[in-house]
Amino acid sequence: MRFEYASRIYAAGHRPAVDRLSLEIADGELCVLVGPSGSGKSTALRMLAGLEPVDGGKIYIGERDVTDLAPKRRDIAMVFQSYALYPHMTVAQNLGFALRVKRMPRDEVKRRVEEAARLLELEPFLKRRPRALSGGQRQRVAMGRAIVREPQVFCMDEPLSNLDAKLRVSTRTQIASLQRRLGVTTVYVTHDQVEAMTMGDRVAVLHEGVLQQVDRPLDIYDRPCNVFVAGFMGSPAMNLLPGRRVTDGLEVLGSVVPVPRELGAPGTSGAVTAGVRPEGLQLDDPGRPGTIPATVEFVEELGSDGFVYGTVEGGQRITIRSPGRRHPSIGSQVGVRLDPAQLHVFDGESGERL
Amino acid sequence: MSGVLPTLDDLPGPVTEPRKIRRPFAGSALFIAMIVIGVVMLYPFYFMIDTSLRSESSFLNGGGHSLDSWRALDSTLPWGQQLINSTIVCLLSIGIILVCSSMAGFAFAKLRYPGASGVFVAIIAAILIPVQSIVIPAYVDIAHWHLLTSYTGAVLMYSAIGTPFATFLMTVYYRSLPDEVLEAGVIDGLSYPMIFLRIALPMSVPALATIFVLQFIQIWDDLLIGLLFLQNTSERTITVGLGALAAGRTTDIPVLMAGSLVSALPAIVVFLIFQRFLVNGLTAGIGR
Amino acid sequence: MTTQATPNPRTDLPPAPTRPRRTRLHRGRSWVGLAMTAPAFVLVAVILGWPMLQAFYYSMTQWDGITATWVGPSAYTHEFHDPAFRRVLQNNALLLLAIPLALVIPLGIAFLLDTHVFGWRIFRSAYFLPTAISWVVIGMVAERFFAAHGQLNSMLSAVGLGFLSTDFLSGERTALLAVALTFAWSMIGTNMIIFLTGMATLDPHLAEAARVDGAGGWQTFRRVTVPQLKRFIQFALMMTLISAFTALFSLIFVMTSGGPGYGTTTLEFFVYQTAFAVGQFGTGAMLGVILFVIMATVGIVQIVLLRTKE
Repeated sequence: MRFEYASRIYAAGHRPAVDRLSLEIADGELCVLVGPSGSGKSTALRMLAGLEPVDGGKIYIGERDVTDLAPKRRDIAMVFQSYALYPHMTVAQNLGFALRVKRMPRDEVKRRVEEAARLLELEPFLKRRPRALSGGQRQRVAMGRAIVREPQVFCMDEPLSNLDAKLRVSTRTQIASLQRRLGVTTVYVTHDQVEAMTMGDRVAVLHEGVLQQVDRPLDIYDRPCNVFVAGFMGSPAMNLLPGRRVTDGLEVLGSVVPVPRELGAPGTSGAVTAGVRPEGLQLDDPGRPGTIPATVEFVEELGSDGFVYGTVEGGQRITIRSPGRRHPSIGSQVGVRLDPAQLHVFDGESGERL
Repeated sequence: MSGVLPTLDDLPGPVTEPRKIRRPFAGSALFIAMIVIGVVMLYPFYFMIDTSLRSESSFLNGGGHSLDSWRALDSTLPWGQQLINSTIVCLLSIGIILVCSSMAGFAFAKLRYPGASGVFVAIIAAILIPVQSIVIPAYVDIAHWHLLTSYTGAVLMYSAIGTPFATFLMTVYYRSLPDEVLEAGVIDGLSYPMIFLRIALPMSVPALATIFVLQFIQIWDDLLIGLLFLQNTSERTITVGLGALAAGRTTDIPVLMAGSLVSALPAIVVFLIFQRFLVNGLTAGIGR
Repeated sequence: MTTQATPNPRTDLPPAPTRPRRTRLHRGRSWVGLAMTAPAFVLVAVILGWPMLQAFYYSMTQWDGITATWVGPSAYTHEFHDPAFRRVLQNNALLLLAIPLALVIPLGIAFLLDTHVFGWRIFRSAYFLPTAISWVVIGMVAERFFAAHGQLNSMLSAVGLGFLSTDFLSGERTALLAVALTFAWSMIGTNMIIFLTGMATLDPHLAEAARVDGAGGWQTFRRVTVPQLKRFIQFALMMTLISAFTALFSLIFVMTSGGPGYGTTTLEFFVYQTAFAVGQFGTGAMLGVILFVIMATVGIVQIVLLRTKE
């Protein structure tokens, strides 16, 4: 399916919620739409489902132009963030409802419902009402409702947001493997970039209605195309440091760093934003040549490694990954070494990658 | 945290029950007050029951209880027929009210159309129209349209009077329904009327029950409309029958009391069963 | 797998839309909405709206139900000079004096019930029960209660206040008092429920904070609980006001028939009397209009007050 310059604007005079989105999704692919709230990702999904009108551009599913079609003609199924189960129906009735609306023969409905229940381990709950189910079970019913339809596209709107953290992790893998097994094209919306990184065949990053970058997860991680994507993906966030072009390279944090490759044409001012992830920085003893002095403000111990939050001269904050268990103590001075190979450079004004 | 912990020998035994706070005086004083208030509030029932169980002479002159008045009731008031009339009028009117208000409430809450707010305000504003203001022209109109026959006039009046508040309640209730459940219905392929019938309506049973109770009591106990629109004695509701009896200065009080009990009982039964919904309905008018 | 590596070059894009579109789907939904609100609207407009307009018209005519002769706005001024009308308005005003009673007592009862003393739920149902009884029945019982040899007088004598006993229903002022008391009594149940529900929604921490600060039970009630109940009190006030003007018909009909004289004739009863007992439909319509104007004013004032307090 694909979006072709699809736009949605709520009221005249405001910026469009989705601004000329063009995105092509291959058959069987799981594409994650990720972005902060207000980025338009949910709106785009709802436009695909037919719940939001398309004010500009088109949407295609397969070869069909579905832009003006009602949802029921689009052959899509949706999993809502709040699950949206029908409270007055049993699980079995919830699962089979859409099929009964289509007047599918009763035994076919039964077969599909039982198969979905088996797949999602919902068999013991078929006669229960939603209010008698736990959050995780309800989520599975919501998934089952979509699976039973055997649609061309799955639309998933933050299906894990309402689960507690531990359940989220286990359900994440279940959804991903289920999707692989069923092979249905899936568009998955989330604000959690960890979900995006782990689940998506490809990830599309949206910001303020505009598509920033669409790529495979690791490609987005390794080559973010602008400052926003760089700062959004990866946790803890990439360090984004102001800097300047100088003759030998870049001046960042008071020292000059050689630039390993050709940078594009300079902007008018020569100002840049240098990005380096916490794992691209190394801790060393202060005062060693090639290091930048920093004061430790806070240390996060995660068990497998830790993150040191500090400030350098001038007040700039940075985050450094500290492998293993030995971390500097709060208030101590450390030296921070920057690996030029892991440096991302962005134009200071436009934010685009150089 | 280090410190001197008590040794195992000093520890008190495990706690087995909550400690009772000692405030017996306040508790029983309150209870007595409640009983007193109860007496004040329930006095009429006592009066009705006690009086109806006397014959007229024993009522006037003091004396024992008997079932005379209850037996006399049959000849004074065609209560059986009137009970049936009341029931029919109530059920018909409430049926119309529920249909109109649930459809309109759903539409106002979930389906927009240009001018909807205007229509909404118009219907809700009708709550302020006092019955007495319109009853005369309405009576003339309905007579003019030849609808005074049988229950029609009264049912139309009761339906129209009850619909504004009922619509308000249903609108508030439907607004609180999560959009996503209805959207799931859209995705599953239902048309909007079907979404209303198969999803929204079943989900709104508490609100429907509230309207049922509220309107049942109001219509059952009503006098004015019944007096005017059900002039045929064979169509009269029990309340009107009783009212006519009372205003006619029938001096046989115990019989009147017996009649009152008969008329009050169904409303009370409905009330007791559906109490909860009545409370919800009253307070829906205040909450957001 | 095709990859779109970088964002679209933003140079060759079509222009962004500036307004939302009204699609065919949207319009279909609008029609359904319209159709669903139509029955309620038609019903209300035909049975309530149109007669209301007619009432405005007929109010300025001399009408006996069949022929109407135009009189004009002078009908209103004429009525204002009618002493009976003046008396009726007076009665309504006096009746309003009972309203504080109909609010304060339920408030107190609700407060007592809110302590959840043993069996409070049963008490709550019991106090609410009178709401189910028809005004007709209440009127009949009240009539006996306030009568010359009725229960009230017996009780007064028993307590030693025998000098107060009189036939309440035969004196104009006392009859009105009887009606007012009965009215207040019957509103207790409804208002109590409103206040109870309000109290249930209150944040208990506020009262606890007051206790910690040293406030006693009464003080906490006055300073903390009551202000929080403002909206509920307002709602109860509105319901009680509306009832005072429109719901007493049956009560008066049965209890006093408006008498003695015009002693207990309130505006709503006067409407009925003028039209059906006397046969002056035009005047009756006019009175109905006046009643409506009063109700509308009260209603709008209430709503405005409610809005501004937000």
